[in-house]
Amino acid sequence: MVPAAEDSADWGALSSLPGNPIMWVLIISELLVFGAFFLGFGVARALDVPTFRAGQALLDIRLGGLNTLILITSGWLAALAVQARIRDERRLARLLLAGAMALGIAFLMVKGIEYHSKFELGYGLDSDTFFTLFFLMTGFHAMHVVMGVLVLAIVAWKDTVVNLETGTAFWHMVDLVWLILFPIVYLVR
Amino acid sequence: MIVAETKAASNRRLTRAWLVLVGLTLVSLTAALAVGRFESGLAAAAVALCASYIKARQVLDHFLDLRRAGSGWRAMFSGLLVVILGGLMAAYVAAG
Repeated sequence: MVPAAEDSADWGALSSLPGNPIMWVLIISELLVFGAFFLGFGVARALDVPTFRAGQALLDIRLGGLNTLILITSGWLAALAVQARIRDERRLARLLLAGAMALGIAFLMVKGIEYHSKFELGYGLDSDTFFTLFFLMTGFHAMHVVMGVLVLAIVAWKDTVVNLETGTAFWHMVDLVWLILFPIVYLVR
Repeated sequence: MIVAETKAASNRRLTRAWLVLVGLTLVSLTAALAVGRFESGLAAAAVALCASYIKARQVLDHFLDLRRAGSGWRAMFSGLLVVILGGLMAAYVAAG
């Protein structure tokens, strides 16, 4: 395939992915890091099932479930925004991105409520292995949500199709990570 | 740039993916709240991880639009998911 004159960079196999190829390098790296985290969580649980069950019993499944619904709805709006931008409906695309960002902020607020309730009960990062991993994994993910909201704001401002594809790809990666984190931390006990 | 799909078709496809994600989340949530939080054993863990795989594929194929990428990329991401979720299942089996 001959690249267009204005798109001289040859990214090889990465060129077939939507958005900027560098974002996909980041997405794959992030999935590997979170994957290692999840496998570490599984091994730590296998070594001390009672501690993990006791810790998980203190989590509010409804808040975790609510946050799952919030993130997947946010991802849906972000995906619709890309399609709207491809059709040159820029105003609609920005509105959809604003909705996606608002839901990202809602996710962080729910996470804040959840953390507050754990702190009030006296649980923190150093309480036991379960809570150390719980706060590290969900905290690391929440930092990605913060970054994702900022990225969505930037691409809503500089709203080329490639920028939207790139920014929303990061957001979907954050969504994807949560879809694995939620069942293993909250549901499977 | 790709404008192969009509507006209605792309919106329908993305909305269908979203509904699958919402449906699977509500089913697992309801089961966890009503049936006893998946403490029932390895079969429940397997179901939860399979649901997670299906949800992840919806996000990859439709939201991230990997269906437009080559089959090698789809296989690579599927393989990564299988390694992570399979490794977790192995850990649940080891824990007994």
